Amino acid sequence: MKFKKVWAICLASVMTLSLIACGETATNEASDASPAEDTATEVEAETSEANTEEGIPSYTELNLDDYKDVSATIKFTHHKTDRAEDGTMDKMVAAFNSEFPNITVEMEAVTDYAQDALLRLSTKDWGDIMFIPAVDKVDLAEYFMPLDTLDNLSAKLNFVDSWEYDGICYGIPYMANAQGVLYNKAVFEEAGIKDLPKTPTEFLEDLQLIKDNTDAIPLYTNYAAGWTMGAWDAYIGIVSNGDNTYMNQKFVHTAEPFNDPGDDTGIYNLYRILFDAVANDLIEDDYTTTDWESCKGMLNRGEIGTMVLGSWAYAQMQEAGDTPENVGYMPFPMTVGGKQYVSAGGDYNYCINVASSDENKLAALIFVKWMVEKSDWCFNEGGYTVVKGGKNPDMYAAFDGCEVTSDQPSLPGEETFLNDMNSESELSFNAGGNDKVQRIVEAAATGSETLDDIYADWTKAWNDAQAELGISADQ
Amino acid sequence: MGAQLKNTRRRKKRTFSEWIKSRDGQKVLVMVAFMIVPLVLLAVFTYIPFGEMVNFSFYNMKYIGARKFVGLKNYAKVFSRDDCFGALKLSLYYMGGSVVQLSLALYLATLLSFKVKGGNLFKGFMFFPFLINGIAIGFIFKFFYTRGFVFDTVLQWCGFQLDNLPYWLKDRSINNISLVGTSVWRYFGQNMVLFIGAIMSVDSELYEAAMLDGANKFQQFKYIILPSIKTIFVLNVILSISGSLSAFEPPYVITDGANGTGTYFVVMHEIAHTQQKVGLASAMAVVLLGIIFIVTIFQKLFFKYVFKDSTQ
Repeated sequence: MKFKKVWAICLASVMTLSLIACGETATNEASDASPAEDTATEVEAETSEANTEEGIPSYTELNLDDYKDVSATIKFTHHKTDRAEDGTMDKMVAAFNSEFPNITVEMEAVTDYAQDALLRLSTKDWGDIMFIPAVDKVDLAEYFMPLDTLDNLSAKLNFVDSWEYDGICYGIPYMANAQGVLYNKAVFEEAGIKDLPKTPTEFLEDLQLIKDNTDAIPLYTNYAAGWTMGAWDAYIGIVSNGDNTYMNQKFVHTAEPFNDPGDDTGIYNLYRILFDAVANDLIEDDYTTTDWESCKGMLNRGEIGTMVLGSWAYAQMQEAGDTPENVGYMPFPMTVGGKQYVSAGGDYNYCINVASSDENKLAALIFVKWMVEKSDWCFNEGGYTVVKGGKNPDMYAAFDGCEVTSDQPSLPGEETFLNDMNSESELSFNAGGNDKVQRIVEAAATGSETLDDIYADWTKAWNDAQAELGISADQ
Repeated sequence: MGAQLKNTRRRKKRTFSEWIKSRDGQKVLVMVAFMIVPLVLLAVFTYIPFGEMVNFSFYNMKYIGARKFVGLKNYAKVFSRDDCFGALKLSLYYMGGSVVQLSLALYLATLLSFKVKGGNLFKGFMFFPFLINGIAIGFIFKFFYTRGFVFDTVLQWCGFQLDNLPYWLKDRSINNISLVGTSVWRYFGQNMVLFIGAIMSVDSELYEAAMLDGANKFQQFKYIILPSIKTIFVLNVILSISGSLSAFEPPYVITDGANGTGTYFVVMHEIAHTQQKVGLASAMAVVLLGIIFIVTIFQKLFFKYVFKDSTQ
């Protein structure tokens, strides 16, 4: 009897202790990781050396052929649920394993990635590789392993400056997107549209033609999905004013960003397309019950004329039906100073957990490099090439003659301004601010507000946020 | 020696090991052993996070990054913003829905507690929606309400013209009612089963006696059933009302809170996760908790008064 009790108590205490012990190892790992953080800041001076000391080469130094026998188990968290389901991810990992048989890659596809990733990030224990969610650049070194200097990387890859801080890159895009408009070529032909529209006014006229001459929905808003509405934000900056420093540098300092410049450009006319299209009944009948999955097939079959989405959607639209040849992609209909601008930039960026063990960091870096340079994932998704000089899919043919450029990073010391402004003003441009674009649709459909009312409201929120955060508004 | 020991024992303390072996000690030990697991779970998953949330509400913070103490500023914002308390108005729809839901449940429970052919089958069918995951229900109803889909088709069979039917989710005058409909559909079966359980406990001799006295079914309901299920009735009302203050799933899944359907919870979710104003959202949560407290106490008092009256 007594023995049993003693045994039970022992067992219980062992269990409790093991719980505590778990907690402790976690903290140990974290503190182990902090020297790495320190190096992260030092790397600035001597990236490659600092890294080699740890036994992990930098991205550009890493020669894949030298590391064929590395063995580790790494975890990759990503947002491509569709690619996880259709087996693309597994195929790529299988191809990776034929070269690196001893690296086991565990994958998890997260549906609500943008939010979940942020929550997981705060635990430090999220695996080894993920895609960088919306964090502040100042905090990059705290969470992610430095990959290389910006100078080294930008010699080899495009669009690597979006997660750069103090000259060090923490992320590499898995693919790049160009921001244009999806359309159905057959619908355009049937509607009698000969030249692709170049201005918002022309675009609206063409939508009207589609409505008059065909049965297709001229512009499908995808209102119900939400994020598809937020996708309109991608055309602020380069597309709407041709200035690649606008989005990350000037926007936060602009006192009245939503004023009508009067020449069919600017943010004003960007959202005016949406407002006027809704007001003139050029969109789907019941926007509140749109369905993202079925819209792909509808565009493919010619039941939808146009959709405003990044180039990443192109491949999915092609796969969704029997007439992939009808799916087309064109530059956004806005002309600034006689020229159409196309904004291109990295999609989600791979990053490596700074708290991972050294073996896992090395294996993760190998995997990332292989994915970027050898997996062809970017090309297969219809992405703009990340590797400099890599091949581009045919869909970008319509972009000939347009100026393709990417947003410049924010000025030193102002890295957090845009995030802060987005959060404080609650407009969240390019950061999940879907409801503000949905509001435009609602206002146009019900007549509850005019576009100018909405812009006045936004301007007030923007100015209040500038005042609250002490950000100068001088333009 | 023995006497001395006895003396010390009586005078004050036994050693700990002696005490733990005694009857009192064993009692405490057993109590602690049984309680420790639920208490730890309760503390770790409810009270500590809650305390943290209250703490958050005094800061201007995002999920990650630096925090800044701002005192009661977040609370001031909750009360000064239009969208926070504006969203509470939508709760009126859900409260209206819970009245419908409870009356429907009570009516059906009363019917089913008498002898009905296939009663168990009906009970099963009506309880079934409660077993479905709330997110799945959201998707079901998204398609249910889509123009020309299930609901419209059914109504067309009944002779309605599609052109005369409203857009169930687009039309702002009815979209909240459509959403409330889904929550009524989901929960009335559960309320009903609870009511049936309570009604079953009524002694059937009472009905016979009442029948002999010439009471009809309605009188039986009013004077026998209702008083005997009042506890469960009050509980259901309180749960439904606090549930309608914190309605989340239908608007979040079906409409994403857009088009004027954003309830308090959806707004809170948006502020916390999209705008990353975690402090403000925490303050909203604390304020809502306060409101639910007040409403619950008010209801308690109300029912105490009402039922006291009716029994006298």
